[in-house]
Amino acid sequence: MSDDLTAVTAKIADGGALDERDWQTLTGTRDLIALGVAADDARRRRHADRVTFVQVFDVPVDTAAHAGTLPDQAGELRLTGRPVSVAAAVAAVRAVVARAGSVPVTGFALEDLQGLCGHELGRLGEVLIELREAGLALVTEAAADTLTDPEPVFEVLRTSGLTVARLTLGDAAGHAAFPLVRRVATWDGAGRVCRAFAPLRPAESSLPTTGYSDLRQVALARLLVDNIDSIQVDWSGDGHKLAQVALTFGADDVDAVPAVASDDLGWRRSPREDIRRNIVAAGFAAVRRNGCFEALDVCDRSEHA
Amino acid sequence: MSVESTAEKLLAGGRLSAEEALELYVSAPTSLLGRLADTIRARKHPTGLVTYIIDRNVNYTNVCVARCSFCAFYRPVGADDGYVLGFDELFQKIDETLAVGGVQLLLQGGHNPDLPLEWYEDLFGAVKARYPDFKLHALSPPELLHLSRLSQQPVPVVVDRLVRAGLDSVPGGGAEILVDRVRRLLHCDSKATADEWLSVMRVVHRAGLRSTATMMYGSVERLEERVEHLCRLRELQDETGGFTAFITWSYQPSNTELGGAEATGIDYLRTLALSRIVLDNFDNLQASWVTQGGKVGQLSLAFGANDMGSVMIEENVVRAAGAEYCMDEAEIVRNIEDAGFAAKRRNMVYDLLGDPLFRERAIPRRTELAIARQAGDATVPAELSRYPARSRPGKARRAVDS
Repeated sequence: MSDDLTAVTAKIADGGALDERDWQTLTGTRDLIALGVAADDARRRRHADRVTFVQVFDVPVDTAAHAGTLPDQAGELRLTGRPVSVAAAVAAVRAVVARAGSVPVTGFALEDLQGLCGHELGRLGEVLIELREAGLALVTEAAADTLTDPEPVFEVLRTSGLTVARLTLGDAAGHAAFPLVRRVATWDGAGRVCRAFAPLRPAESSLPTTGYSDLRQVALARLLVDNIDSIQVDWSGDGHKLAQVALTFGADDVDAVPAVASDDLGWRRSPREDIRRNIVAAGFAAVRRNGCFEALDVCDRSEHA
Repeated sequence: MSVESTAEKLLAGGRLSAEEALELYVSAPTSLLGRLADTIRARKHPTGLVTYIIDRNVNYTNVCVARCSFCAFYRPVGADDGYVLGFDELFQKIDETLAVGGVQLLLQGGHNPDLPLEWYEDLFGAVKARYPDFKLHALSPPELLHLSRLSQQPVPVVVDRLVRAGLDSVPGGGAEILVDRVRRLLHCDSKATADEWLSVMRVVHRAGLRSTATMMYGSVERLEERVEHLCRLRELQDETGGFTAFITWSYQPSNTELGGAEATGIDYLRTLALSRIVLDNFDNLQASWVTQGGKVGQLSLAFGANDMGSVMIEENVVRAAGAEYCMDEAEIVRNIEDAGFAAKRRNMVYDLLGDPLFRERAIPRRTELAIARQAGDATVPAELSRYPARSRPGKARRAVDS
């Protein structure tokens, strides 16, 4: 590790403020492994050797009332897609909650809800309360690149009693994402209303990123975003292998593990065993959680858990 | 010996014993393995270059009597979807390869009892007659052993005849894990035992050919057997110096008799790093993006690899087992440069051939790899009737064709 990088990571560990030169050192380094080691140290200070994961079952918002069987393995039922109206959103939540039992129901992108409210904060607060009272456990996500003035939005979330499962970078990726990561790190209110920060953009959304840029982004997120507890990767969207390696570069939570296998390939290739095996192979203890980030059980480290 | 002292020994230029290597693999954090492997890579390749080759991975037949339990590609003798590529089909593939700047075919196939040694000699001779400068990187040790058995000629004679016909170098396929306990479990001991694989490579190197070496891990082997595999390769390299590069990849379980689950991305990076650490007499380690995908393929460059392998153009074996990744030259170069290295084209013996070709002339982008033949194409090459078949179905087919 270069002396400069050593000095910057030490400064981060001590809680010191980074200056422009420190920032250039972090984003410009080619020493990926050194960056990973520093980020891994930071994640272990918060989460020790635990990696949490959630098995998610997606329910399209426009078919929520007619959703088929909800799988037993789901730790989260997630309404996906943009609702056409506030009433449709509330109805979808009620329809799924009625069948969800104890499984948390999440849904919606915060910017979609803002759109339905005409970007009027007072109305957004009312809608969030209505959704919470209908049974919504968390808002699925908020995109940082759409939050030009985030603190008032965070305050509305806080007073409504709803939190956001994850803060994403929206459409920002690669080197363009680094300044946004840095900005997120300055949002004091984010940690109170955002459970996790997901620094990688789903693969299908644009030009593919590279393994180096993805891991650098995850590591920088852990090193810089001290105000949000978890750094999250997406099992389905980021690719299993990249997501697993990211666990050694600062990530501690895995989203979007399927609740249903796409093919019946037997127990060893079931989604739950697959994620357990990958987490353990990365050197961590696998903890299954639900959509409210509550631990359900610790998976056995042995092959036949 | 502690992990720390083993690391110090390695950084001082020492060679690890099998026991030390195993202890390092079991106990060292992934970051330390990566750091050690990266240090060795940087020592061996201080100029910051990462190389790749433009060639085509062609499987001339999928008919195979070996019946390895980890293989999803082979078809038994007489199967409706068994195929043998014709000379003209292969010429067309070479033309397509040359058009994108390719320099060789990586030519491997099943152990087809109905393709005698003369078929290979005629094919290689015909290729060299039409494309004198084009290289044939062909026939892994088990294929050479199969031809030896089929022709009842010693391996050195088979190698000599094939070299005379046009064989340039030998791929290191079929090694799997060079431990006979594992080979028996994988049902691949009959195609070549560990000693036989190494003996064939010794013959190849003594004949003046260069070869690669490989390892397929993550099936049924123990960790110490991976280390034993690496140590056996290291011993032979000490003796002959004939290996140009080493490639490791994970067993791909889909559609195979053996089944099971694929080893993880971390397993791959750790195994690659360990390989760089143990194989201190190998100059080059290739990334296996075709099994790991582009992202972990690129990360290989931080874990000991100095070469992104082949553009491939075509791939059949790994695809049959469920992995379908594609990287054309532009994508390989983008990944190399994004990791902070300079990209250079090379040939099989790692002579540098130049800068990326797509920057010199327009080359169509490729988003998926070609396959040997389209599904349902049951064409039987006309020239096959010139060669005697060994199997009963083959004899019957040749009788009808002639």
